[in-house]
Amino acid sequence: MREYEAVIARVEELARQLGLRWDPVVFRMSEVEEIAEVASMGLPNRFVHWYWGGAYKEIRLQQDKSLLSILELVLNARPAYAFLRRSNTYLQNVLVIAHVYGHADFFANNHWFRKSNKNMLNEAERHARVFRAYEASYGRATVDSLLDSCLTVATTVNAFERDPARRRKRLVYFLEEHAPLEPYEREVLQAVREEAEYFDLIQRTHITNEGWATFVETALLRELLSAREWAQVCVHLCARPTPYTLGYALFGAIRRQRGFEGALAARRYYEDVRLIDETLTQELVDRLDLFVYDPRDRSRNTQVDAVKEMLIEQKLYRGEPRVEVEDPDHPRDLVLVHVEEGRKLDPRRIALYLKAVHALWKHPVRLRANGKLYTYDRRGLSTA
Amino acid sequence: MRIHRGRIAQHKHDELLRAYLKQNLHELIQQKELVVDGKVKTQLTTLDLPTLRYGDEEAYLAQGSGGAGRSFGAGEEGVQPVGGLLGGDHHGPEVRVELDFDEFVRLAQEVLLEELELPALQRMPRGGEVETEDLPELDDLDRMGLAADLNLEETLLSSLLRNVRERGVLDYEVDVRQDGWYFVEDPSSVRNHRSLEVYVLDISGSMRGDYLALVRKTIFLLWYALERRYPTNLRRYVVFQDVAEEKSREEFFSVESSGGTHISAGFEKAMEMLQGVSEYDTYLFLFTDGETSSGDFELAKRKYEEALDRFDLVCYGHVNPGSRGVGGFSEYVQEVARRRPNATFANLVDMASVREALRDLLARVDGGGKVRCGSTRRSSRGWRN
Repeated sequence: MREYEAVIARVEELARQLGLRWDPVVFRMSEVEEIAEVASMGLPNRFVHWYWGGAYKEIRLQQDKSLLSILELVLNARPAYAFLRRSNTYLQNVLVIAHVYGHADFFANNHWFRKSNKNMLNEAERHARVFRAYEASYGRATVDSLLDSCLTVATTVNAFERDPARRRKRLVYFLEEHAPLEPYEREVLQAVREEAEYFDLIQRTHITNEGWATFVETALLRELLSAREWAQVCVHLCARPTPYTLGYALFGAIRRQRGFEGALAARRYYEDVRLIDETLTQELVDRLDLFVYDPRDRSRNTQVDAVKEMLIEQKLYRGEPRVEVEDPDHPRDLVLVHVEEGRKLDPRRIALYLKAVHALWKHPVRLRANGKLYTYDRRGLSTA
Repeated sequence: MRIHRGRIAQHKHDELLRAYLKQNLHELIQQKELVVDGKVKTQLTTLDLPTLRYGDEEAYLAQGSGGAGRSFGAGEEGVQPVGGLLGGDHHGPEVRVELDFDEFVRLAQEVLLEELELPALQRMPRGGEVETEDLPELDDLDRMGLAADLNLEETLLSSLLRNVRERGVLDYEVDVRQDGWYFVEDPSSVRNHRSLEVYVLDISGSMRGDYLALVRKTIFLLWYALERRYPTNLRRYVVFQDVAEEKSREEFFSVESSGGTHISAGFEKAMEMLQGVSEYDTYLFLFTDGETSSGDFELAKRKYEEALDRFDLVCYGHVNPGSRGVGGFSEYVQEVARRRPNATFANLVDMASVREALRDLLARVDGGGKVRCGSTRRSSRGWRN
């Protein structure tokens, strides 16, 4: 790490001149395996679940292809933890360090991130230890299948939602309040929900966060690098995934309109939906070559409104079906409703999904979708 | 000490995946094109949490291929689905599970052994000492060896060359440490306990579905048993319908069932495989439903007799998952197998009959094998008469 001390000091100085403010950053030199591990699990020392295993395998395979591989990881905590890859070249790591300060600034200043749990690293480790203890007393298989159910329903979290009545429409909050759970089951569900909220925030600000970090990175590197070094890193900057380039282009547009001060204000108050809604223009859509593709008739829609709608829908509902909890008539009732009646749900997944919910609710679970009423109880799935 | 959580998670994931594949083995094994590019492609997606998804194909956000969108899955040319919009914890779209063929075979063998309650076998060590009463044939040279095995001619020659090179003198001044050449045993001859296995498979129109599943399972089990005992066996693969063709191991499992049944063609091609490998024990395994095309019966009989003379053991598997009576060419083979010691007949109805057939077969192979394992010479006549 010592060889980077000078460049880190220089980057911090430049970042301060740009008007960035951040909590301390701890850099850590790590092996590809460790990075793949944290990237697949989301947090270091988190509880081990088979679900991360598939992602871990995939990331390990990708790390052999240099352009798509993960160069760095930053965790939203106080202090922020940044993992640098030992196999990076010096220049790659300089790139990464500049990028990390963009994230650190975003973590410390963005309206939504300031309210986030900065102690999640420790929380996740504590959760893992608690789960291990439960494995000892209730059996590994019991805890594993409980975790399967909890992770399945935890996709319904919303980190932005504060209104209790609207939260109760979301399955995971409803179950936490009303399901007849054993104390240890409730604790596990709560822990999984807290972690899911931490990731939900990251997902809902992904484009803004990465866009800002890339924006800051280029601003810093322009000062820092010689023309020759700049030419070398350009390949890496251009090969970034779409969320990076999209976010970067949006912040560029903001700076052209409102100056760097305007960009600083945007990073403070925006999350993805607002950023896209306010700044995406037809010109940007054309330049980035974005379009909505329909595989059924192979048509492309390049209208900004269509692209915007698709992006915002992705951001609001993660491309997952919107299923809400209906107000119950009876305390043992749980009726889920698929809100967009026109669209069909994959019937193969319904039985497994309802089984997972039933494991937590312990009474019959109903789902209204595809023009049918599915019921899952002790005897399994039935349709009416 | 670091706990390798990633690897533990992957292990858990793979174990679940294996359990899932095992449940679906019977369907998987029936795919006509089992192996494509060395991989077994499955219809299974990687394991996922059972969250709800949309059923129909939907429009999605995409980017022209000029951009740097990450691509996964099959998209149209010039259309890259935009992935990773959510980043972090969110997983990408479903990926179909692919297995290496070898991995698939191992998996299948595990399931089958369990199903048949056959014992797991130890792998025969490939290195180590081989017990033999023959004197070793010292037909190779090495720089290291026993003093008694010194090869004078080569040693003197290399000493001469060295002296010319180093001192410029045409002289023999032998330094054994530098110039010594020794006779040693040719390492390849130690591992020469090889047999030839020729697999012949009927791929006429009727061999599909359950027929194919049963044959493949039987072959996997045969491989298992024979590979553990005789790891260096040579294997050849032949498929036939109206005509016969040699195939590679992987192509053997990716053939389209079609055409008529000319069993004679299968035998004929199998005998071609014998060329140049006459020093080995030779086994022929033929699998068919026995319904040879009209007009081929007499020729098939003759070819069968000929194969019996040329192969050390001819195993005939009558594939019969419907458990019908044995008729046609199979009936004839069943009759011959009672008379000829090196002919076997197995009526493969279900996995239980496969087990019986296997046990019967291995008893015969091992009967010959015991003698053969101890020597490098051909010794298969032991069970021939």
